[in-house]
Amino acid sequence: MGISCEEVWRDISDYIDEDLDPIQRAALDQHFARCRHCTALLDGTRNVIGLYRDQRVLAPPDGFDERLYQRLGEKNNPSRRSFLAWTLTAAAAVPLGLALFSARRLIVPAHDAQRPARGPDARQVPETVAISQDQDGKLYHVAGCSNLHGKPKFLPVADAIREGYSPCPVCIGKRKPAKKG
Amino acid sequence: MELIRPHQRTVYATVFALLVNRQDAEDVVQDPLLKALTRLNQFRRESSFGTWLIQIAINEARMRNRKQWRIPMLSLTDDKDDAKAYVPKDFEDWREIPSTALERVEVRDALLKALGSLARHYREAFVLRDIHELSISETSAILGISPGSVKSRLRRARLMLRDILAPGLGHDGRLRWASKEVRKPWE
Repeated sequence: MGISCEEVWRDISDYIDEDLDPIQRAALDQHFARCRHCTALLDGTRNVIGLYRDQRVLAPPDGFDERLYQRLGEKNNPSRRSFLAWTLTAAAAVPLGLALFSARRLIVPAHDAQRPARGPDARQVPETVAISQDQDGKLYHVAGCSNLHGKPKFLPVADAIREGYSPCPVCIGKRKPAKKG
Repeated sequence: MELIRPHQRTVYATVFALLVNRQDAEDVVQDPLLKALTRLNQFRRESSFGTWLIQIAINEARMRNRKQWRIPMLSLTDDKDDAKAYVPKDFEDWREIPSTALERVEVRDALLKALGSLARHYREAFVLRDIHELSISETSAILGISPGSVKSRLRRARLMLRDILAPGLGHDGRLRWASKEVRKPWE
């Protein structure tokens, strides 16, 4: 007994592609010999493939090659116009960048001056300094200075200066006086 | 440019078959060619240069379709159909169509409409295998699906196209559809 039509429909595509083993192929051959419907299906399917394989079906329209190369040329090589646009943009960007840089230098320090101090600034002399009660050096220090010996006494920096104390070159050195407010 | 010249018509045929619109195809065809030229260093010689171009063309056509149809379209024939057996709807005795039939625009248009009526995944398999005559393994690599899926999609595409075209295209290659509209037997 031969194979059914359903089995033929399942394998007909592989039959056309010659992708069946010899036994399967022989079974389909036998079926086609006696089944008019499946033979029509085989012919029709081959017809479809033959029709679509013809290059005229998906052929490009007239002038396709010329238009394609024109477009590829435009996209591949930046046009003179776009080059000019880039040049002008770059030329405008330079002075704009310089202006922004200058404005930032003018604005940022003013802004910093208005900002309240968040903690002790290492570059500034604290408002309260320490003096050594056991030394005659007449130096005032930042608390914890290695040059501060003996029992420290704390007083405002202005009072220390008024009393003739000088800044310790180790802990204060070139620090700026503390700002109030 | 000399590198792409031998393949430009194949690339056009690929995007045209997938977009089924002449104007769109001509708009899109330059993109895969340009991409290939600018990404030559990415060509790994695992396939031929022409096959690599076809792969880029398929991706470009897919992107174009996505842009055009932002709302996902539900296909009448989805992936789940692959596994099902396709039952041919028409057994009309349809002998070989004369090649001269393709000289007529309406016949070529009917073939394009029939191709365009297939779901994208069937169309892609058919275009690669039956139009570009790529092997099953090449088609499988380009589409990123198994060889078995390529075969089942191809079988279905071939039988569906036959069901569409057999009743409408006579032995002499003349159209028999009164409205010249493609009918989908599975609808």
